[in-house]
Amino acid sequence: MANSPPSSPATDEELMEAYIDGNDSAFRSLFERYGPILLRLTRRHLRNDELAEEIVQQTFFRLHGARNDFRRGSKLRPWVMTIAMNLVREHWRRTKRRKMTSLEVDTRAAPEADFMPLELRQRSELLHVALEKLPTSQREVVELHWFQERPYAEVAQIVGTSEGAVRVRAHRAYATLKQLLVSEIRGDE
Amino acid sequence: MTSGSNRPDDGLDERLRELDAPDAPQNDELMDRMFIDMKARCDKNDRTVTGFLRSRSTVARRLIVLTVFALLAVAGWFAFPLVGDQARTAQWTASLVTFCVLLVLAMFMVTRPVHLPALPRWQSVCLACIAVGATVLAAFWPYPAAQAATHDHTGGVMAGACMGVGLLLGVPVYALLRLVDRGNAFGSLVAAAAAGLAGNFVLKAHCSVPGTSHELLGHASVAVVFVLGLGLVHRWIPSK
Repeated sequence: MANSPPSSPATDEELMEAYIDGNDSAFRSLFERYGPILLRLTRRHLRNDELAEEIVQQTFFRLHGARNDFRRGSKLRPWVMTIAMNLVREHWRRTKRRKMTSLEVDTRAAPEADFMPLELRQRSELLHVALEKLPTSQREVVELHWFQERPYAEVAQIVGTSEGAVRVRAHRAYATLKQLLVSEIRGDE
Repeated sequence: MTSGSNRPDDGLDERLRELDAPDAPQNDELMDRMFIDMKARCDKNDRTVTGFLRSRSTVARRLIVLTVFALLAVAGWFAFPLVGDQARTAQWTASLVTFCVLLVLAMFMVTRPVHLPALPRWQSVCLACIAVGATVLAAFWPYPAAQAATHDHTGGVMAGACMGVGLLLGVPVYALLRLVDRGNAFGSLVAAAAAGLAGNFVLKAHCSVPGTSHELLGHASVAVVFVLGLGLVHRWIPSK
């Protein structure tokens, strides 16, 4: 890289501003921060390593293209998350994968399968199946609220709806998940 | 984890936590490879006209499109004679204004920033349907009823010429909108609708051949061809 990164620890926004000003290594730092987070997110949604990597790269490609829209004072994380979620949603639309049966999905692409113990793998599969049964709109909310730990207001901003609607979706999603997993949870106890 | 009133209870929380565990060892080599690959794509894209236009700010992209639209309109205004005074009715004006408003709306949809949530699909489909509907409706509304008796319906002969001109005029509009589109879902369909509207706008403003049949075959068909043609092409040949 030609340029040195800004004095650390820099915030995401500072890194983005540095990148807009032509500092390539700031972009690399952003990739190092967000790449693993997005990779986990996309793997959970797509259950296909290759596709997940492609969507992470595409997210940063779009972030690069949209860099001149970034305004000082804006938060970067909602930007990155929105771009990634838009891409995931678009992928679902194009492939209509959700119409496939869960069993087909499970057996084809489980990224974690190699190193997990069998029991854990089975439990993980059940969770994935339960998550996949949720409507996309609810699943996105679970992803952003629970896994990404974003507050409802930010989730609402990312998915493009009101905070109230997001709360309702989250409530329904958690209720559905609990219902789907109830027998297994009881079994654990 | 975040606090909130809708947090799942302990059993579910614990189960979800299992999925949140790193599912595969993150190796630096993978991230390096991904970054290098992605950065190479960015650099390559920056060297193209498309990359240059798409990386302008949204305000700049919209200004570019509006400027090109305005230049095309001004060039058309001086290059071709407007329809005669008799044909410049309130309906004619209303049709032009409607086409113009829909065209600007399509431009805003196509140039929507990617960091905002994607518009629902139905909105794009709705715009395309309204665009085609407006051109068809305009064909049935060419003159005031009082003058309807004077219509001759032999304009079908000239329809082919009008359709050709309309398609030719729509192509640069379509191309321009695709050049500034950063990858919105259904952006192609909306751009196609805009191209059809632009063709119809010019034809409506300048074509003096009267008659519903002519307008249906020569004008409205432009929007239909763009929307259906490009819609089908993109359905069969999905973009990357």
